[in-house]
Amino acid sequence: MKTVIADEQLTFLSDLREYLDGLDPELVAAARAENIEDPMQPRTHCQAFLRQLGEDGWLGISWPKEFGGQGRTDIEHWLFAEELYNRRLPNGLLTFNVVGPTIMLHGNPDQRREYISRIMDGEIIFAISYSEPDAGSDLASLRTRAVADGDGYLLSGQKIWSTGASIATHLWVAARTGPPEARHRGLSLFIVPADSPGITITPIITQGGERTTSIFFDDVRVPATQRVGAENDGWKTITAALNFERMFYHNEPRWELRQLAEWADGAGLLDGSTAESYELQTVMGEHAVDVEVCRLMALRGAAMLAAGQVPYAEASTNKIWWGELRQNICSTGLDLIGAEGTVVDTDGAPASGHLVHGLMSSPVWRFGGGTNEIQLDIIANRGWGMPR
Amino acid sequence: MKHPDYTDDETALADSAEGWLKFVDNGYLNKQEQTDNGYEEQRWSELTDLGWASIALPERVGGAAGTLAQVGVALRECGRAGYATPLLSTARAVTLLDLVQGRDTVFDGVLRGVVAGNALALVAPPDGQLGVRPDGDGYLLEGRASTVEWLAQADSAVFAVPVANTDEVLVAVLQTGGLDITPVPSIDNELQATLTPGARVGADVPAVVVPAAAAARALGRADLLRASSMVGGCEAVLDLTAKYALERHQFGQPIGAFQAVRQHLGRMSMALDAARLSTNEALSLEPESPARPAAMDAVALFVAGRSYVEVALTAAQLHGGIGTTVDHVLHHHYRRAKGMQLRSGRPANRLREIHRSLVVRGDGGLW
Repeated sequence: MKTVIADEQLTFLSDLREYLDGLDPELVAAARAENIEDPMQPRTHCQAFLRQLGEDGWLGISWPKEFGGQGRTDIEHWLFAEELYNRRLPNGLLTFNVVGPTIMLHGNPDQRREYISRIMDGEIIFAISYSEPDAGSDLASLRTRAVADGDGYLLSGQKIWSTGASIATHLWVAARTGPPEARHRGLSLFIVPADSPGITITPIITQGGERTTSIFFDDVRVPATQRVGAENDGWKTITAALNFERMFYHNEPRWELRQLAEWADGAGLLDGSTAESYELQTVMGEHAVDVEVCRLMALRGAAMLAAGQVPYAEASTNKIWWGELRQNICSTGLDLIGAEGTVVDTDGAPASGHLVHGLMSSPVWRFGGGTNEIQLDIIANRGWGMPR
Repeated sequence: MKHPDYTDDETALADSAEGWLKFVDNGYLNKQEQTDNGYEEQRWSELTDLGWASIALPERVGGAAGTLAQVGVALRECGRAGYATPLLSTARAVTLLDLVQGRDTVFDGVLRGVVAGNALALVAPPDGQLGVRPDGDGYLLEGRASTVEWLAQADSAVFAVPVANTDEVLVAVLQTGGLDITPVPSIDNELQATLTPGARVGADVPAVVVPAAAAARALGRADLLRASSMVGGCEAVLDLTAKYALERHQFGQPIGAFQAVRQHLGRMSMALDAARLSTNEALSLEPESPARPAAMDAVALFVAGRSYVEVALTAAQLHGGIGTTVDHVLHHHYRRAKGMQLRSGRPANRLREIHRSLVVRGDGGLW
């Protein structure tokens, strides 16, 4: 059977590790703490960390050299993302893994030139703005309008759950340019500077302490040059971006399992032979199995991208597996800990409070990037030919 | 592409195996299951000519010097068809013998016998039911009575059992004639028998004593063939169920148009992917490859068993009544899934072994 990881890719990984190990420990520790607290908002330290990576030539692994990338394959891109996730360090999130690749696919030459280089320089950060109060899974019913006006558009409407918009420089906005009855055939995709006149961003705080936002567009002027793809042809761009998002390689479950293992070691249960430790070993053994499967699902997506294929059902499978596993590790991990698991203080809490924090953050893992119910439908429809 | 992970050679082998297995359908499987032998001698001699059990064996014993992955491909097709013969136990046994003897040739005669058409049973009870203790110049088999696939039909039995009070395993080949064997009914069409301990392993039988860890590694490789067979079963069940969901109409439309049914199919598809991805990684990468964890063989076996049972149970739910009858091939997969899973022993014990390797020791792998 074919293998997809070659020796030169393993060399890439050891070079990357050597580089990361050599970074300023203070910068790394501060970026990690910020990333654990709220991974969707790269703030001061995470931005400094990413700029450092950019300056040292370690961003845009699979991006063409003409755009300042390393010109490597998607396998190296996967190794890079997984290594950073494994260290719980930021890897560029939606900007590098979703918007950048989509601009390269569907942007025009001017957009590619402008945005890719600015992303590489760490100058711009994107937030994604698709959902609306009345358009979630039924995204094609969205009502934010972009009305033609001179050489551009006037954008009006409300977006919600646009996570990261409070620190983003640019918004990646889906808006209606055709009639409502045209559904997904009447949408266009726009890049909008977050500081454009007429934009109001208000925070929403989640139970896990993360910040997401509501965004109000009040006749926001957007030049036509900011439209990605043809007018009313935005669905293609949106679905491409969603596929990248669902393939957005994941190794956090492994990190969370490690936090549980550290607690179990301290509690004398990791390798013992009491009934309690047997239970823990059985539960953790199955999580460890599913962490390896998670790795393989992400690697398959990377291999498909490297071979010029587009993962659809495979991307949905990856996303469901990752989110459910992660939530399960946090929840059943707390079961093993028991009453002490209710302590949320990150210093004194078992497993440094990472599992209880994870549990509170976890609902979005099952609906973000498209609900798992929709993903299962995609798997059945695209993977197994079921009628819609 | 039908088999995107396969090499061209493996695709050709899979196509040829699928072609040869065309005679297998539900009626054939039902009929064979009712016979004492469980399979046709004529088909076994055709299988011997095809040489699937010996693909990976060295040329000096008549093997094809191929790969374990190729054997896995052939057994995946058998698993897809639900076809039961001693092929799986024979292929597992020769994989074990070849690996534990290393550069030795003590088992070469046994391996040649398989190339010539002998069937082997593999006695390696997964939860420590059997062991041996030294007895004069040989060993005495002790422990609890154990269930072994194809033991009554096999020409020889390959034992891989722990030596009492040591960290070693005895691997020895015994003629089945001298063993206390009682055929017992099986959950599925893989025939089995109970082996009652008490037999003596004489100094004259082909045998080696190896460190327990080496024996476990070799058994892990051998058991990948069972995993691959279960992946074939998973694939068959998914194909059957997707087809049925399009054919079966209720409320004026195919049941696959109902979201509840599609969600079940989506879950089944994920289970299949998990089994196939882990088994293919374990088969494609050498055990010492830095790109895979040392426990990957055990992971693949566990996931393949869990997935095969999961998809079989859900498939029965989606088929309704027709899936429970002996007139539909699903009943073979339903029973084979649980049988093949259980033959790897108690899942909790397997998980604790995996935990020790992946979590406690962190053996191998990139992370």
